[in-house]
Amino acid sequence: MWDLFVSLFTSVLLWIYNLLGAGPHMFGVAIILFTILIRIVTWPLNAQQMKGASAMQNLQTDKEWQDIQKKYAKDKEKLAQEQMRIYRERGINPFASCLPTLLQFPIIIALYQSITRALAVTPLGLLELSRSASAFSFLDVSKLIPLNSKFLWMDLGRPESVAIFGFGLPTLAIIVALTTYVQAKLTMPATANPGDQSAAMSNMMSIYMPLLLGWFALTFPSGLAVYFITSNLLGIIQYAMQGKANWSSLIPGRSKQQLAAKKSK
Amino acid sequence: MSKKLLFVSIALLAAVSLSACSGGPIRGTTWPGLAADDNTAYLADGPHVYAINLKDGQELWRYPANSNNDLAFFSTPVITADGQIIVGSAGSAYSLVALNPANVDPETNAPVEAWVFTGAQDHWVAPPLVVGDTLFAVNADGNLYILDLQDGQSNKQAVKSIPVEGRLWAAPVTDGERVFITSLDHSVVAVDVNTYELLWHEDVEGAVPGSAVLGADGMLYVGSLASQLIRFNPETGEHSPVLESEYWIWSTPQVDGDTLYFSDLEGRFYSFNTETTGLNWPPVQPDGPITASPLVQSESILLATESGSVYALDREGKVLWSQDIGGKIYTTPVSAGGLTLVAPLEADFYLAALDQSGRTVWTFTDEN
Repeated sequence: MWDLFVSLFTSVLLWIYNLLGAGPHMFGVAIILFTILIRIVTWPLNAQQMKGASAMQNLQTDKEWQDIQKKYAKDKEKLAQEQMRIYRERGINPFASCLPTLLQFPIIIALYQSITRALAVTPLGLLELSRSASAFSFLDVSKLIPLNSKFLWMDLGRPESVAIFGFGLPTLAIIVALTTYVQAKLTMPATANPGDQSAAMSNMMSIYMPLLLGWFALTFPSGLAVYFITSNLLGIIQYAMQGKANWSSLIPGRSKQQLAAKKSK
Repeated sequence: MSKKLLFVSIALLAAVSLSACSGGPIRGTTWPGLAADDNTAYLADGPHVYAINLKDGQELWRYPANSNNDLAFFSTPVITADGQIIVGSAGSAYSLVALNPANVDPETNAPVEAWVFTGAQDHWVAPPLVVGDTLFAVNADGNLYILDLQDGQSNKQAVKSIPVEGRLWAAPVTDGERVFITSLDHSVVAVDVNTYELLWHEDVEGAVPGSAVLGADGMLYVGSLASQLIRFNPETGEHSPVLESEYWIWSTPQVDGDTLYFSDLEGRFYSFNTETTGLNWPPVQPDGPITASPLVQSESILLATESGSVYALDREGKVLWSQDIGGKIYTTPVSAGGLTLVAPLEADFYLAALDQSGRTVWTFTDEN
C-alpha cells in the first residue's frame, strides 16, 4: 500500500517533469510545482491548522482563560481540567494547530522516497523506478530516465553545500531552518502567561522543527530541501495573505511585550 | 498522549523512516558484484569485498577489515593478469581500489592496497576494463578515466579523463582498436584504445544500463531500455535497431557463435541470430524478471531470475533443470572451479555455489 502511494508520487513527479520538457533544471522545477500541487491538495488541513492557531491565539487574551491561569497556577491538574472545559465549551480543538503539521510527515517521507526513487542513483533504484512507472501507465518512463538531477548549482540527488574558501556551507539547510522558523513563529499564538502549556509547546516546536528539518536538509538529497523551502514559503505567503501573520513574533520578546501592554490597558 | 509526546514520536518516526532510505555502506542498497578465478570468488557486497575459497566456501579475507562510510562495494571486481583485484566503491570517497591478495595483513586479515584512485566525482558502478597496462574506468559522474597500471603510483592520477556524459554504469568493452562505452544518457561512445581520441558518439532511444557486446559478425550489439536490440558498425557508429523486444532490456547480451542471448525486465529470454537477424525460437519466460546476463556454458545456458531461481536451458530454449535458490537474484552468475556461483539479495546467505545439476554445494554468509 505504502509502495503504491510512493509510486503514485513518483509518477506524478515524472509526469510534471515530462510536461516541462525533461531538460536541465526541470526536475527542480517539477519538485516546486509538485509542492504547490501538494499544498493545494492539503489546503483543508492547512486551513484547519490556521483556524486552530487563530483560536488558540485569541484565547490568550480571553479574560476567563487568564483568570484560570492565575487561579490554578499551583494546581496543574485542575488547570488542565479547566482548560479542557473552555476548549469544549468554545469548540476549540487544541490539536487543530499542530496535528495538520504532523500529518504532513507521511507526505514528506513519500516525497523524499519518490525523489530518491526518481533520481535512481543505484541500479536497484532504477529497477524500482521502472516498477513505479509500470504501476501507473500514463507515462513512457523509458524515454525519460535517467532524470537530469541538476538544478541551479545543485545536484538534487545529493545533499547540498556551497564551497566558500574551501569550506562547504550548507546554504539550503540554513534556508530551510530559517523559513521553518519564520513560518512557525508567524503561526504561533502569542502569550503573556509563562505557565501556559500550549504556548510552551508551540514555542518548543518553533525551535525544534527548524532544527529537525534543517538536519534533514543537511543530510538528505537536496531535492527534499527544495520541497521544504517551497512549502514553507507558500505557507508564509498563504498566512500573510489572510492577514493573520504575527510578524512581531519574529522578534524575540516582542510579542510578550505587546501582550503585556495590551493587558495593562 | 500529550502533544509533546505525539510530536516527538512522529518526528522520531520521520527521522528513522528517512534515515532508513539513505545511502551508506548498507548491504542491499543494490545488488552485489561477483567475480572469480579458479580458486577464489570475490564478492563486492556493501561494506566489504570478500575473498571466498571455492573449495569450501570459507572466507579468506575481507576488505576493508572494518566497514566505514567511505567505502561501499557493489561493482564487479576485476582480476588483473598479475593477480590484483580492482574494485570501485560507491561510498562517499568515490575511490577505485587495487588490492594485492598476495599481501594480506596478518593482523587485520585484509589485503594491502596496491593503489587507490580518488579523482572521480561519483559512485563506481561499472567494473573497469584492463587493456594491457592501461585501465579504462567509467564513473557515474559521466567520465572515462584512463589510468596507467605500471606507473608505480600508490595514489593514482588519471592519465586522461574524457567526458562522455550521463551516468556510466556498464563495463567498457574493446575490440582491440576501440573502447566502447554505453551510457544511461541514451548514447554509445567509441574511444581509440591507443590515442584515447573520441571516435564517435551516437544517440539511441533509451538508456543503456548494460555493456555493449561484439558479435561473431564483428558488429557491436547493445540492448536498451527503449526495448530495442541495436546493431552498431564499430568503426563508424552507424546503427539501427535489429529487434524490438517486448520490454526493457537491462542485461548485457551474451555471445554464443552466431547467437546472442539476452533477457528483458518482464522475464523473457531471447535467442537472436545475428546472421538472419531473427529469433531462433520464440522467447521463453521463466518465473520472474531478469536483470542478470545469461551464463553461457558448453552444456547449457544458465538464467537467474529476480524470483530467486536459477534455470538451465539447452540451446533450443528447453528447461533442463531449475533450482530455487531463495532471495532475489540480480547479479550475473559466475562459473569457476566447476561450480556456478550465485549471489542473491534478501537471502539467508550472501553467495551459493551450485554443482552442474544445480544442487547447492556450499553457501557463504558474513558471520560477523
